[in-house]
Amino acid sequence: MTWSEFSFERYRRYLPAAAIFIVAVAASAYLSEVSLTDLRRGILKGLSLLTLFFPPDWSACKDMLQPALVTLVICLVATPIGAAFSIVFGLAAARNIAPEWLRLTARTVIAVERGLPEIVILLVLVAAFGLGPFAGVMALAIGSIGMLGKLLADAIEEIDPRVLDAVAAVGATPWQVIRHAVLPEVLPALVANSIFRFEVNVRASVLLGAVGAGGIGYELDAAINQLEYSRATMAVLMILLLVFLSERASDWVRSKVL
Amino acid sequence: MSASLAVPSNVLPSVRFRRRMALLVVCCASVAAFLIYLKVDPIEFFRDFHFVSDLIKQMMPPDLRLLWVKHGLWTSLLQTVAMAFFGTLIGSIIAVILALFAAGNTSPSWALRLGVRTLLAVERSTPNIVVLLVLLIAVGIGPFAATLSLCIGTVGMFGKLFADAIEQVDPLPGEALIAAGASRLQVIRYATLPQVAPSVVANVFYAFDVNLRLAVALGIFGGGGIGFELHLAQSVLRYKDMLACVILILVLINVMERIADALRRRLFLQEV
Amino acid sequence: MLEVKGLSKRLPTGKTILNDISFRVDKGEFVALLGASGAGKSMTMRAIAGLTSVTAGEVVFSGESGKCYTTITASGKTSGKDLRRARRNIGVIFQGSNLVKRLPVLDNVMIGRLGRIHPLRSWLYGFTDQEASEAMAALERVGMAGFASRRTGSLSGGEVQRVAIARAIFQRPLLYLADEPVSSLDPKNAEAIMQLMQPLAREHPILGAFHQPGMVMHYCTRVIALHKGSIIYNGAPNLSAKQLDEIYCGQADRPEATQELTAAAES
Repeated sequence: MTWSEFSFERYRRYLPAAAIFIVAVAASAYLSEVSLTDLRRGILKGLSLLTLFFPPDWSACKDMLQPALVTLVICLVATPIGAAFSIVFGLAAARNIAPEWLRLTARTVIAVERGLPEIVILLVLVAAFGLGPFAGVMALAIGSIGMLGKLLADAIEEIDPRVLDAVAAVGATPWQVIRHAVLPEVLPALVANSIFRFEVNVRASVLLGAVGAGGIGYELDAAINQLEYSRATMAVLMILLLVFLSERASDWVRSKVL
Repeated sequence: MSASLAVPSNVLPSVRFRRRMALLVVCCASVAAFLIYLKVDPIEFFRDFHFVSDLIKQMMPPDLRLLWVKHGLWTSLLQTVAMAFFGTLIGSIIAVILALFAAGNTSPSWALRLGVRTLLAVERSTPNIVVLLVLLIAVGIGPFAATLSLCIGTVGMFGKLFADAIEQVDPLPGEALIAAGASRLQVIRYATLPQVAPSVVANVFYAFDVNLRLAVALGIFGGGGIGFELHLAQSVLRYKDMLACVILILVLINVMERIADALRRRLFLQEV
Repeated sequence: MLEVKGLSKRLPTGKTILNDISFRVDKGEFVALLGASGAGKSMTMRAIAGLTSVTAGEVVFSGESGKCYTTITASGKTSGKDLRRARRNIGVIFQGSNLVKRLPVLDNVMIGRLGRIHPLRSWLYGFTDQEASEAMAALERVGMAGFASRRTGSLSGGEVQRVAIARAIFQRPLLYLADEPVSSLDPKNAEAIMQLMQPLAREHPILGAFHQPGMVMHYCTRVIALHKGSIIYNGAPNLSAKQLDEIYCGQADRPEATQELTAAAES
């Protein structure tokens, strides 16, 4: 195709969509206060800040170990608690297990938990329990229930009804059907999802920590607020290490379990 | 029939029961140990339930009058959406461009490819909050810092994914174009991109979903938007306002999900 | 020993699925239900096992002791407890694909005993070692003892069908129902399954739904043919080609054809 063949007609029907799109981009750029001067200034300032951030303050490494461990432990507690509760919610939200009213209630609860970012849950919990790991554990556990519960409920609804009929046909009670047919079919998937969720929780807990759940996220926030940038770099390195290790570990567990 | 066979030990019920019990005990004990380490007492949650009931009393009813009393609130809601939208858009464009450099079949040189791949890997594992905290210093407090960090996060999230998608593209259409005398850029435009477009578009929608939640979260750290309003209400102990913000966030995320769904459906219907 | 009386099922739309099905199955019999797809074979089976609701009818069966069980009472509703008590005495041999795929083979066999053990025990502890060795014996009888610890999902079609039979044997029922046990199998495996079921029928009667008239003639003692929800033939298994044609090709719509078939059955 050469330029002489270019025809404006061809693109005419996309015009309204394109116009809306451009307006949306411009409006969002305006609302999010995008400014190229800020960006240029930011890049220059960022480059000059680099000298402040590097080299990392290696001596702070010792102080960082304990908060990193706290972050890790928060996730190690929150994920299994969330997984355990997600079994209850998953069963209650599955069409082929629960009566309609229970299913709708459970689905609504799960939808709310999934819809709210963990940090919003955390802020509400902090209002009730104060700062500290307890609110962090609860927020992550609730977030985990939302995701794992939905996945579990969907997995349960996908079970072939004939498999469940066959178990009911030997005279099993509904609870026995759950224990001997439903759970064995979906628990391996729940374990795999929980391991994945653990990785997500490690990242999220850094964010939660910065708001006040404690751990390495708090250290990072504190270091930056006190303008101790090389200490902050050390915290970042620690976070990267933590994320990397949790990924390796969950890969390892996954290969062992499945 | 009468001589019963030995049951293999790995499916013998008593052995399996013991193994399961051991696993359960280990799990419960470690969770308990972790809770003690964190000095968290879950029983306290029920014993001191008045914390929760007090909070609920203070939060009820949510002060939804905020919507028309406080003029900045609508702007905050829109700002959050705008941050997510802009961050996703620019981030995705950068991600596609970087992916072209990072994919073996479209990258101009292997050194560049290695460099971009490393950059993407680092971005991928850096939590958003780290990027945001650094950016808040560099460009100052405000939605722009959050938007930039969403951009960077999107690149990290999808750069590698797109690069892998590009590498799995069917090479035959591109080879046909080369045989017809097309340039390298023409091959990318007319053979490579059309093949990855559906997966890119699907992922961009997913990215928007993730980024909207993150936009709320980053707002709390001074990025602006509804997250900032929420944090403000919480820190000045105006719990009725806080609950109103929580409800607004829930509605916002739900509405945007629906809009994105409708758009996606229209887009994919058009293509088919 | 199994008596089905006037079983009828009509959908709210007015479509008749089962129309006044009545028959008896006695000790030692291996009865085959024949008929085209949609003739009502599976629905009859499901109704007898109490897995579907019917508009009218009664299903009664009893064992050596003379104790009677019903899955469908003439009055309509059966209580959940009565239904479970009846169900644990019916060994349903489903298509093998209806086993719990992620459980080991042995567990799938032991599920057969769920109706007989205390629910709380099965929840908290599971099965006992004694039950496991009995389940091994059932597996051995179908030639699957070596597969006890394999994951059920990894077995072939013929193998899972054997496990399904082992589950029914382990259940110790008074009656076997077999819903198309050989439909998804190749001829060789199908033959082997039929050979497994034949001796079972001598202990407790089998009522099975089949699609293979040739095999049915060879192994079964009686044939009940269904067409559009009604019984059109109830008699000896050696059917002529013409009779089969009438059963499967819808010829039986003509009333005289049904009369011919019935006459043949009585002779």
